[in-house]
Amino acid sequence: MDSITTAASVVAAGLAVGLGAIGPGIGQGSAAQGAVEGIARQPEAEGKIRGTLLLSFAFMESLTIYGLVVALVLLFANPFAG
Amino acid sequence: MIDSPGLCRELRCLVCATTSYYHPLTPIGGMSVVSEIVENCSSHDPLLDIDSSDTSSGVQSNEYLELQFRVFRLTFLLTFFSVGIAGFFLGIQASASLFIGALSGIFYFRLLARGIGRLGTSSKIVGKVQLIVPVMLVLVSSRFPQLDLIPALLGFLLYKPALIIQFLSMP
Repeated sequence: MDSITTAASVVAAGLAVGLGAIGPGIGQGSAAQGAVEGIARQPEAEGKIRGTLLLSFAFMESLTIYGLVVALVLLFANPFAG
Repeated sequence: MIDSPGLCRELRCLVCATTSYYHPLTPIGGMSVVSEIVENCSSHDPLLDIDSSDTSSGVQSNEYLELQFRVFRLTFLLTFFSVGIAGFFLGIQASASLFIGALSGIFYFRLLARGIGRLGTSSKIVGKVQLIVPVMLVLVSSRFPQLDLIPALLGFLLYKPALIIQFLSMP
């Protein structure tokens, strides 16, 4: 792998993780805030709130995982490496 | 010497007496007041009963645990179904990669559920420990030639159809 491909892969990996984590991070923060407020207001609905939070977290965090996988593939299993 | 139930009763009476002492409508002094407090304490007070509050919290956590078990069950079913199809059409290597990816997906989901279960009680944030699982999966898949990356990643994401099915079947 030549130096230009290596440098581009490293920069792209950093961008993939960094930019890919911004949106899910904001979304997870606001979802967790709403869930904790809901549990504090209605403790009897804790199970349902936690279940819904689990589902939404799993879907949101998969976006982070996509960026992470792209970055790891670029770093450790680069298809552009000659 | 006071046995354990006696000690609990004494503590309850102490709490009752303290709350009655600070109550503005409580009459001051006299053995009748003390005996009334003791009689009130000896009756069942749900506010002071720790077991009852634990029971209601346990019901809620049971609901959360049941949701997790349903998702795990669906994920296992989808895993065996897809591993069988992959083994029949794509071969043993893709099937093994899919199976390992599905197991790591289940482990990831378990860690995520544990982090969410701790939210608000013993932790203020949801941890990111579960993200180690896909990282390790990609690293292992890239290091070992016996494993394929794409089937492993597809197996890792098998918990998402289970979640979608679970979400659609929720009332």
